[in-house]
Amino acid sequence: MNKFMTTFLQTYVSKVRAKSFIISTLIIVLLIFLAANIDKIMDIFDSSEEVTTLQVDAEEAQYASIESMFESMDSEFSIEPYEGGDAPPTGAILTLEETDPLTFTISAENDLPEEQKTEIETALGEVQRMNTIQALNLSPEETASLGEAPAINYDIASEEGAEEEEEAAAEMNPLNSIIFYVTVIIMFFIIINYASQIGTEIAMEKTSRVIEMIVSSVPPVTHLMAKISAMISVSLTQLFVFVLAVVAAIQLFDFNDLISEFGLESNDRTVTLAIYSLIYLVLGLILYLSISALLGSFISRMEDLQQALLPVTMFSLIGFYIAIFNIWTSENMLVTVSSYVPPFTPFVMPLRAMHEGTSQVELLLGVLILLVTIAIVIWLAASIYRNSVLSTDKGILKNLKRIRRE
Amino acid sequence: MSLELKQLTKKFNENIAVDDINLTVPTGSMYGFLGGNGAGKTTTFRMILGLLKQTEGTITYNGNPIDYSVTNRIGYLPEERGLHPKLKVEEQIRYLAQLKGMAKRDIDVKLDEWLERFEVPENRNKRIEKLSKGNQQKIQLIASIIHEPDLIILDEPFSGLDPVNVEILKKSVKELNRKGATIIFSTHRMEHVEELCEELCILNHGAQVVSGNIDQIKSDFGQKEIIIEGDHDISFLSQMPGVLDMKQIRKKTTLKIADEKFAEPIYNEIVKLGYFKRFQVNEPSLNDIFISKVGRQYE
Repeated sequence: MNKFMTTFLQTYVSKVRAKSFIISTLIIVLLIFLAANIDKIMDIFDSSEEVTTLQVDAEEAQYASIESMFESMDSEFSIEPYEGGDAPPTGAILTLEETDPLTFTISAENDLPEEQKTEIETALGEVQRMNTIQALNLSPEETASLGEAPAINYDIASEEGAEEEEEAAAEMNPLNSIIFYVTVIIMFFIIINYASQIGTEIAMEKTSRVIEMIVSSVPPVTHLMAKISAMISVSLTQLFVFVLAVVAAIQLFDFNDLISEFGLESNDRTVTLAIYSLIYLVLGLILYLSISALLGSFISRMEDLQQALLPVTMFSLIGFYIAIFNIWTSENMLVTVSSYVPPFTPFVMPLRAMHEGTSQVELLLGVLILLVTIAIVIWLAASIYRNSVLSTDKGILKNLKRIRRE
Repeated sequence: MSLELKQLTKKFNENIAVDDINLTVPTGSMYGFLGGNGAGKTTTFRMILGLLKQTEGTITYNGNPIDYSVTNRIGYLPEERGLHPKLKVEEQIRYLAQLKGMAKRDIDVKLDEWLERFEVPENRNKRIEKLSKGNQQKIQLIASIIHEPDLIILDEPFSGLDPVNVEILKKSVKELNRKGATIIFSTHRMEHVEELCEELCILNHGAQVVSGNIDQIKSDFGQKEIIIEGDHDISFLSQMPGVLDMKQIRKKTTLKIADEKFAEPIYNEIVKLGYFKRFQVNEPSLNDIFISKVGRQYE
């Protein structure tokens, strides 16, 4: 077995077997399963029950107008006259208490779902309106003009952006936003989690001095590459478990309710978005973990680790915020510019991928930028590591100077 | 077939850490590097291993420069001790031994043997951080020799060990040497070098004070030491030709003479006085050599 694989496997196996890995993976898998059953969970806490029949206790004329109003609204309720007694388990009683103004009482065994309440309220409001129109003896023209909306034309100088914003909001597909959110959140979660782990791995070997034995057997750069690859593989393993959990959830649970409830339907952008999200997710992880390794190789004391890793936390947080807070205005200048700034690209590009206006060229350019940046970061990390591996210099700056030496 | 250092020099900025070292470590020998703190021992070792690049000079092992293609045949115990604190002893040894190209099966067998030999078999499944410092050092030493290297470099192997463990370690080092390994070690304790080595190099502030075969160095040095024990007053001996120094502690007198040829006239003088319990001509100690070469007391 070659030396790269020895270090790779040693790091990989010990990390995957670590409690922190197992626990954090299980928590996320649990959350995925919970999210897959969100509709059922909401039902548990929702004590309201749908009613199918509405028994109306009113005089003949009022009854007729209420019934015709519900019919004209294509309501799902079946309207029946009230025949005394309690409401049936799947029905409610609508009692007309007063005619001027119209006052109703709805009695039912359980609370009604909000949508049904709204439906009934709308219908009864319409009945009230009709009654008023009749009482005022309005002509049909007058009645029609009552319902007319004013004609408003907008003439705004910076119209472009506003229109786009509207457009973006209009084309916002719930499934696409879920893919986007999941990508960005998982990326952020894994980066924050693994940045400190890879930094610790590298810094610990230096501070514990075991590195001198290691580099007397294996070239420092090979060792560093094995460490970085192992940590990236650990994070991808975790990602793979998450994907498996999602697939398992889709297989195990009935998603039809969930899809209809939240309107989750794919559109022609979904596939592009999903593919690019995955690419940017993987590249983003590689970039940030390489940066963490780079920063980890600067330091020679564990106390300096958090300080050294601050840029990772900062950049990932900024990228994350730019992406999350611009979801409704995904074509503004900040998004466009930051999508080409390497540390932000993996967060912001999935947002742009969601948008029709972003061309394949732009998306591929982002991939290229990331690949080049990753190559530079790894090269830097390797040259710093090679020269600082036996150094006990405390300052980050002193170690930076070592890049130029030898 | 040997390790050769030629005109080896290392500068850190303007500081000269190692200054023009020339020496040959014969294959199968036990070679001691002697020197105080900052003498350049560790820097020299790091250059031999290729961990530091020399400023000038060459290092060859069996005629070839040392690089990562031969590291499997080299064992190294660094002066600054350290292992992965979170790993278990067997995991740590397995990892480091695999980096030296050993197969897993061989590692397990050898590890048991060595743990037995160092009298710590119960530590096999303990985490490194749970071990005492001395025991961690034993584990690290095992890691550096378990792959039975041809060339073993031990930087201060005896420091931090209690006398019992120093003896165990000496025994193991001698055995490795008997089996054919070339062993280089550094120490600041002269008696370890005198006891273990045939060859040595004394370093002082990066410069090579003296190097080569110990017996040869001593005989080349010329100076001898005479110990005389008896009841008679022999203070006049300090005026004898060839006597460099004289120390008297109660009835024991120690003379330093420039050459062995001056010993006989001294002997002839004192036998005239009568009975003496002891008259002994000794080889010079390394300490004497150090003092005479460097001009100050060692350490």
